[in-house]
Amino acid sequence: MRPISRSALRPHVCQTCRHGIGAGRRRFASQSGSPDLYDVVCVGGGPAGLGLMAALRASPITSKLRVALIETQDLTKAQAWNLEPTQYSNRVSSLTPSSVAFLRQIGAYDHLDVDRVQDYQDMQVWDGQTGSSISFDWSMETSPFEDPRTVATMTENANLVRALLRRIAQSGDENLSLFSNSTVASIETGSDLKPEGPDLSAWPVLSIKPTGPSESTPKRIAARLLVGADGINSPVRSFADISTHGWDYGRHGIVATLALGDLDIPPFPASKRTAYQRFLPALGGPIALLPLPNNHATLVWSTTPENAAYLKSLSTPSFLAMVNAAFRLEMTDLSYMMGMSSTSDISHQDELTWRTQHTALPSQVPPPATAVQEGTVASFPLRFRHAAQYVSPRVALVGDAAHVIHPLAGQGLNLGLADVASLSKTIQYAVSHGMDVGDLITLERYSSERYLPNAKIGGACDLLHKMYTVPGEGPVAWARSLGLGVVDRLPFVKSFLMKNAEGY
Amino acid sequence: MASMRGRTLARALRSNKPITPMTSSFKPATKINQPLQSRTHTSVSADELSHFSGLASSWWDPMGPSRILHLMNPLRHEFIASCLSEGTTEANPNPTSANLHYLDIGCGGGIFAESLARTIPSTPQAQAPTPTRAASMTAVDPSTDLINMAREHARMDPAVHAHLQDGRFRYLNTTLEDVLESKIGPVGSSEAQYDVVSLFEVLEHIDPKTSSPLGFLSNCLRALKPGGWLVGSTISRTFPSWILNQVIAEAPWPIGVVPRGTHEWSKFVNPPEVKGWLQEGLMRAADTATVRGGAEQVKGMQWKCVGAIYIPGFGWKMVPGTEDYGNYFWAVRKGV
Repeated sequence: MRPISRSALRPHVCQTCRHGIGAGRRRFASQSGSPDLYDVVCVGGGPAGLGLMAALRASPITSKLRVALIETQDLTKAQAWNLEPTQYSNRVSSLTPSSVAFLRQIGAYDHLDVDRVQDYQDMQVWDGQTGSSISFDWSMETSPFEDPRTVATMTENANLVRALLRRIAQSGDENLSLFSNSTVASIETGSDLKPEGPDLSAWPVLSIKPTGPSESTPKRIAARLLVGADGINSPVRSFADISTHGWDYGRHGIVATLALGDLDIPPFPASKRTAYQRFLPALGGPIALLPLPNNHATLVWSTTPENAAYLKSLSTPSFLAMVNAAFRLEMTDLSYMMGMSSTSDISHQDELTWRTQHTALPSQVPPPATAVQEGTVASFPLRFRHAAQYVSPRVALVGDAAHVIHPLAGQGLNLGLADVASLSKTIQYAVSHGMDVGDLITLERYSSERYLPNAKIGGACDLLHKMYTVPGEGPVAWARSLGLGVVDRLPFVKSFLMKNAEGY
Repeated sequence: MASMRGRTLARALRSNKPITPMTSSFKPATKINQPLQSRTHTSVSADELSHFSGLASSWWDPMGPSRILHLMNPLRHEFIASCLSEGTTEANPNPTSANLHYLDIGCGGGIFAESLARTIPSTPQAQAPTPTRAASMTAVDPSTDLINMAREHARMDPAVHAHLQDGRFRYLNTTLEDVLESKIGPVGSSEAQYDVVSLFEVLEHIDPKTSSPLGFLSNCLRALKPGGWLVGSTISRTFPSWILNQVIAEAPWPIGVVPRGTHEWSKFVNPPEVKGWLQEGLMRAADTATVRGGAEQVKGMQWKCVGAIYIPGFGWKMVPGTEDYGNYFWAVRKGV
């Protein structure tokens, strides 16, 4: 039995705001009134936080709730985001059909710029060490008369964020507060407003201040339910005193937006697009090329920090040569090219051309990358985190605040949206049954629905990463190729896997 | 096992004792401004009162001994909604505004009463946010400890607190008999007449030896407007329910889910018994000083009954046809 309510809610001040805490306290003490009351306060305006807001505003049951969202970035700018039709942001996500269904259900998908969105129907995954492969192709499953089924939908995060903001704006501003350009200065527990007022001693009270220089007093709001959609270092999570465990992979993901050449054999049907992923055990992780519109693609290459630094230091032609080599050459060739001095006489491109002549190319090679969009090569560290629990009294965690996983299956954002779908459903159920949306008895519906699926997907990605970073031949490599071979040959197993991957 | 037998014996001895309502454990209840003599006809047993008052501190702990009741609560809303969809006290066939007045008898710590009060809109006569369409809630319980704790808990939700302040939500430390005698009606009314009277997990706590469920149910029906619903939930007295509710549910942790001594199998009631009492009760409720109610009172009555099953890990589920296995919801609608 767990003691709850007051004792579980410890005062917390976020680390960046420790200074000036005394002054803040004095100011609060002299403030006469009670804080502004909200039903749901979401910290973090990424896809998960905005998705929750949009879902709550879209449902007739929850649209009357008083909701607030706090975001450090400028949401007005995010809503006005615009890029040339030939330019693509390097922060791209792959949406599973169930994520798309959720976005459609809450009316956000209609606000997505569909010209910047790319479905793909086929996925080629193979092992660079053993050559064994698996093809996720829905055209085997569907009849020739219907459209091939979509494996996933690629969208820029900025496009998704803009769509969600538009959807929220469409719902009007009644009972809605968007605190843009604002940070949470502190989260504390409220007080008992005896004798006339309510007892807020179990309610989190946030003080919000605008970013940048400002002399205005922070605004204080109390939350019936405080949602942490505030990322890997979630201040909401520390306030609720929820621990998180995990590890750093010691890998970096390199992203870039690439322009592609044409395939030797044009795709059939012509609209069919393919995602490519090749595991490179010798280089520390997989490389993936995911289709964007207008024959562009986004690159996600997981590799060691040294390799990542090396790749980022290369000139554009050399970088392109390395990307193309990574989908074509053998591990030994790749390891050699990864060490080539960038000042040497022989360019990476020449080396690739020469080595390709002596390599039997696998059948599933993607079209060659021909150009890199300027300023899109970037990298980020890969980590695994899982919060010990998703809920505590009056607190719920969603998205990266609850879990961070290896990106090799492109599931991070989908898990976040699935969290949000589940939490908004939970809130709807609570409201229609007279439950307090911040009660543990309400929130446990959300955590029991999401904890295990998230742990399962995160664990599967972790296992894949570990299996495919064992270099060279040997039992692990044999097991890998045997595993993939069996899966590829048994249609019912494969179909089951694909349906699972399509879900979340 | 020996300790269990000892306990059962002790309880049996206790319940054989003639119980006078004015025992010492009952005294705190006299704090409210009610005439003392009105308490002579109460259906509250002192035994039960002390058992539930002892649970007061943990009543609202979602992981505590009342967890099972917290989990059942949403089903109560669904059951009431299903009753109201068949008709209400109103003439309007498709009402949408929140104008139903509720009376919750034996509210305990307020699990149901508070949840219903939360659905009362902040402005009167507004569009109802839920199908239960509550305009006001009057909740009564004879235990002072529980009522105090219920009030204290309600203050922790500002929306519910606001209703406590404006009187549309009331906790009264009193009994049903007092409500009728003192004519405690919904806000703005001097008649003890309500649209919905609820009686959740109460019937099985009435001691048939000292009080009559028939008399108690007749009183519940007296508090009901014509066309209104008396809804409740209780446990049937059958062999499967004995296994489920006495042997399994009250078993030591980790198997048991309710505190030992919460239920006494002999007090459980079966659906046909409830229905019979209600038919008789409807006639008695129509009695006046000069005229006695007759069979015509039963004609317009509507009766609903559906079983509810608790599956650990999945929660409560309404399963029609399982009334005899244990918990069930029942409802009766007074003829218009």
